[in-house]
Amino acid sequence: MPKRMVTLIFPQTLIKEPVIYRLSRQFKIIPNIRRARVTEKAGELMVELDGEEEELNKGVAYLNGLGIRVEPTPGKGR
Amino acid sequence: MAKVKGLKCRECGRPYPADPLHVCEFCFGPLEVDYDYDRLRGTLTRRAIESGPPSIWRYSALLPIEGGPAVGRHCGMTPLVKAGNLARALGMREVYVKNDTVNHPSFSFKDRVVAVAVTKALEFDFRVVACASTGNLANSVAAHAAEGGLQSFVFVPADLEQGKIIGTLIYDPKLVAVEGNYDEVNRLCSEIADKYRWAFVNINIRPYYAEGSKTFGYEIAEQLGWRAPQHIVVPAAGGSLVTKISKGLKEFDRLGLLSGGCATRMHVAQAEGCGPIVTAIKENSEIIKPVKPKTIAKSLAIGNPADGYYAYKVVKESGGYGEHASDEEIVEGMRLLASTEGIFAETAGGVTVAAAKRLIEQGRIPKDESLVLCITGNGLKTQEAVAADLKVKVQIKPTLRSFDEAMASHGIEVTPRNAH
Repeated sequence: MPKRMVTLIFPQTLIKEPVIYRLSRQFKIIPNIRRARVTEKAGELMVELDGEEEELNKGVAYLNGLGIRVEPTPGKGR
Repeated sequence: MAKVKGLKCRECGRPYPADPLHVCEFCFGPLEVDYDYDRLRGTLTRRAIESGPPSIWRYSALLPIEGGPAVGRHCGMTPLVKAGNLARALGMREVYVKNDTVNHPSFSFKDRVVAVAVTKALEFDFRVVACASTGNLANSVAAHAAEGGLQSFVFVPADLEQGKIIGTLIYDPKLVAVEGNYDEVNRLCSEIADKYRWAFVNINIRPYYAEGSKTFGYEIAEQLGWRAPQHIVVPAAGGSLVTKISKGLKEFDRLGLLSGGCATRMHVAQAEGCGPIVTAIKENSEIIKPVKPKTIAKSLAIGNPADGYYAYKVVKESGGYGEHASDEEIVEGMRLLASTEGIFAETAGGVTVAAAKRLIEQGRIPKDESLVLCITGNGLKTQEAVAADLKVKVQIKPTLRSFDEAMASHGIEVTPRNAH
């Protein structure tokens, strides 16, 4: 199955929500958290998403819809 | 390559071999070059550096290359200008301008990183170099690839300034204009980098590429008589430069090359229309929130900066701060630098001057302390930014009478020769 390395940037309003849990329940995606930074104002999660391409696309769209920014981890600007 | 121990994850510290890698496979942290400083201490002396070539390669012992430079032999050792006129205008006692508008070959600090990256790409036996760029990097990659006999692919946002497009195309790279902002270009390039075996200087060669920026800091210290200044203002796009200038100064200090230690306060300058690092500094948040860029400072228009967190940390740990500059202030900053010191900087230079002005006014940079402004690119590349404000004011017939009349009508005082 394809794997995607992504950085999720959470707004303050979603820090208390179990977003990753819901992502894995609603879609056939296995998230593997590698690293995280959480402050009182925002959250940043480096995570590997494992699943079929279509499920990954749906999952990313779900996260975007919640207001979470999804960035490919190695693809941040110079 | 005994001076380089290998690569190391900046987050978890895991070691990696010195290969074309850039991300830790465990924690996804970025990798950076790890040196054997114990081996360098004592052998790398001021005299050894001073006897080197007048270029970045005098610091080869602290750069991640195995042999000599393959390209960019004349890069670096740009002037550190004691800017008395600008200092007076800013109400400061001691201001210096590190002037990379005249860097070789493509007139920006990017020549430092690309000279190292392309040399490294050749050591790794790549035949194609590539980059995602806001302009200056495009110029530099295309130029160095031409010099190194490599094929180059350069990806830029389609709305880039004409000067940067022409300044790239002249070297005959494969220039790809992408209909999107830099962050979208960069995202695409990450996918391309996964598919093709190319040396993407700011993606898979990034750990080596970024080390070239340390020379900006080395030169400042050496040109100040082996001293670190009290303040440095650095423009930030991805945030790498400020971290590497700081790393360079700390390395010099660690190797016993500095007089008076290193207590430099590092300050970051960004545009109001794209200032996620400065916003994080002001909000005391180590998480950088990406923004959609909207600024005339296109070379700094990176909304999701790769080294934003590390730039934030360097600034905070040094006791520095960050400031934004509006588009209007950017143009004013460019004009101030040009009219006081005769240096025509690109928009990023205007951001640096304008942000420094704010920091001085706030008292964050005390007027009796030494300040270095990092001027990173040439103004001829971004003429659009000032063109509307700069018009020919006096147009005359080719006669002396017409000239005298024009001087009088414009209120310009001219003293006749026989008046002395």
